[in-house]
Amino acid sequence: MNPVLALAPRFGRATGRDGRTTTALAIVAFALTTALATSVLAATLGFVERAAHPTSGVEERLGDTYVLLAYVATVLLVVPLLTLGGAAARLGVARRNDRLATLRLLGATPREVVGLTLVETATQGIVGAVAGTVLYVALLPVWTSVPFLGRTFTADELWVGPGVLALVWLGVPLLAVASGAVTLRQVVVSPLGVARRVRPPALRAVRVVVAVVAFAGFVVVSMFLQAFAAAAAAILIGGLALAFAAVNAIGPWLLGVAGRRRLRRARTPEDLLAARRLLDDPRAVWRVVGGLSLASFVAGALAVVPVLAEQSAGDADTRLLMQDILTGALLTLLIAFLLAAASAGIAQAASVLDRRRELALAHLAGVPTELFDAVRRREVLGPVLAASVGSAGLALALFFPLFGLAALTAPQGLLLLAVSLGAGVLLVLAATESSRPLLRRVLADPVVRAD
Amino acid sequence: MSHTATNPLVPTTTAHDPRLAARGLVKRYGPTTALAGVDVDLGEGEALAIMGPSGSGKSTLLHVLAGILVPDEGTVRLRGRRVEGLSERERSLLRRGRYGFVFQHGQLLSELTALENVAIASMLDGEPRASAQQLAAQWLATLGVAGEQDRRPGEMSGGQAQRVAVARALVTRPDVVFADEPTGSLDQATGQEVMRILVESTRAVGASLVVVTHDASVAAWCDRRIDVRDGLVVAGQGPVCGAAPVAGVGHAGTTSVRTTSTAQDRVPA
Repeated sequence: MNPVLALAPRFGRATGRDGRTTTALAIVAFALTTALATSVLAATLGFVERAAHPTSGVEERLGDTYVLLAYVATVLLVVPLLTLGGAAARLGVARRNDRLATLRLLGATPREVVGLTLVETATQGIVGAVAGTVLYVALLPVWTSVPFLGRTFTADELWVGPGVLALVWLGVPLLAVASGAVTLRQVVVSPLGVARRVRPPALRAVRVVVAVVAFAGFVVVSMFLQAFAAAAAAILIGGLALAFAAVNAIGPWLLGVAGRRRLRRARTPEDLLAARRLLDDPRAVWRVVGGLSLASFVAGALAVVPVLAEQSAGDADTRLLMQDILTGALLTLLIAFLLAAASAGIAQAASVLDRRRELALAHLAGVPTELFDAVRRREVLGPVLAASVGSAGLALALFFPLFGLAALTAPQGLLLLAVSLGAGVLLVLAATESSRPLLRRVLADPVVRAD
Repeated sequence: MSHTATNPLVPTTTAHDPRLAARGLVKRYGPTTALAGVDVDLGEGEALAIMGPSGSGKSTLLHVLAGILVPDEGTVRLRGRRVEGLSERERSLLRRGRYGFVFQHGQLLSELTALENVAIASMLDGEPRASAQQLAAQWLATLGVAGEQDRRPGEMSGGQAQRVAVARALVTRPDVVFADEPTGSLDQATGQEVMRILVESTRAVGASLVVVTHDASVAAWCDRRIDVRDGLVVAGQGPVCGAAPVAGVGHAGTTSVRTTSTAQDRVPA
């Protein structure tokens, strides 16, 4: 075996407390990604199965529509899922930069350095995938308690089977390795180490391409599904997809604009630092709040569902469909919030560890711990509020002409929206605050020589 | 006060009381004794070098003097006021308000520009942002890095970053500046230049300076030097502490400091 790669297990053992923290965080993130991805996949497959083998009249009539809606939910969750998985991989790799730069100086080839790190990242991915599968099984009772199409899923219906599990166990480590490899490019470029936080290159064009591809994907998927009896639904969903793409494309740019504005107006040290961190990498901030934004957009769009339900009071099928859309949307929203919260927590932990030396030295020079707490809150709260309230507001504005003032006559939808957004924002903030003990540990650690 | 006995290496002050006075400092890490009873006096405006090999306890001494670490025994007085027994929060305030720090590297906040890194020190002291940035710009100009003010630490050379760090340490007009191997990651020429700037500008604001170093050419810039071995001060050199720097003549560093001092090195009014 290559002598450098043979070092992998030793490094795994010798990483110290920070290393263990990041490894644990990465594994938790991979596990959460796996569990929620498998659950979403399971529900989608469950609806496909129901549509293929309907057991009741209503399943026969509405089965295909539900499959379509399940696909919509899945597509909505792909971005947050990939974000969390990618964040976990980046966390693991970024923390190893110093050590890898040293290895490069000692003469390890780029290939060996990359290999060594990716072996570790893949290992974390595999462990996370296995743990996530256990979590998926543990979550089955939750999903089987939610009724769709008039009856709940059985655990059997939601069991994805060994084939899908094998795919997941392969897919999660692959995703980890791919994200890790992208992050590693910085280390490999120069043996003299990594320029800290180089400004990332502009990716606007790429983002638009991705948005277009996603939209085209929607169209293709909907053409394959012969479920478009209701053309209006296709237009609705297509419109949604387009709006998501637009929101995702302009989100980071908007955050950058907001950051510059905040920087100009900053009066206190905490405002100044928070604005600078936002400006430093608006894309990274968007990665955290982007999922939240999509989910909030859905929530905003669905705030009008009770109005629809009321308008179609006569038809039992439509009433059931509206009820289930609301249930499904709330589940999607919940999962999106969980993923966004986990991403935010991981991002904060990574930020603390990446800045550990400057934070500790600033603390030695008398900068109070509370300042960093205040910066963290300001750093997260603004973008989270803007992404969730802004996106929900955009959805409401877009759909308002469709439903007119009727929306105002059914305020329960808006109430539901406000409550779920509030809960989601609190969840993200709570996850962010979880890096508080880590910050204190880093500040208490004498980074300067003990001599 | 438990340790009033005078150490022959730390003569008692005459004309001036010392700005910073430590007596009988003991600091242990588990079974290891890092400081085994150290007395140090630092005069008004005096520059003191603490030298010693790796593991001698010189950094621990700096940390105890600066209120970063609490000694197990002994006292530290700043202008006669005991500071070693203050709470963590009070010591933080003390460090922020009365002391300045220059570390080896990596102390500038990486997301802020040079200007903001200096300005934030006075903003923490309650200075409004606009005047803090104005003051910071003057300091950067004085220290010869005006052109770097919009660049971030990652975009500056080591010498430039240390000048910015010196500006940040001095912008609050501290009583004492603590420098821990300030030239440790610089080449010889740049290191000498940074030391010149550090010593001259510290003196110009009337602050005292403590420099921890293992490099004799760095220590030579200071008025006085003490050597630490195994947690004890084993040798001292230079004039009686407490003497005003203007009175200090004839020891390494001082003469060259004075001769190279020019109008442009003076701090902003």
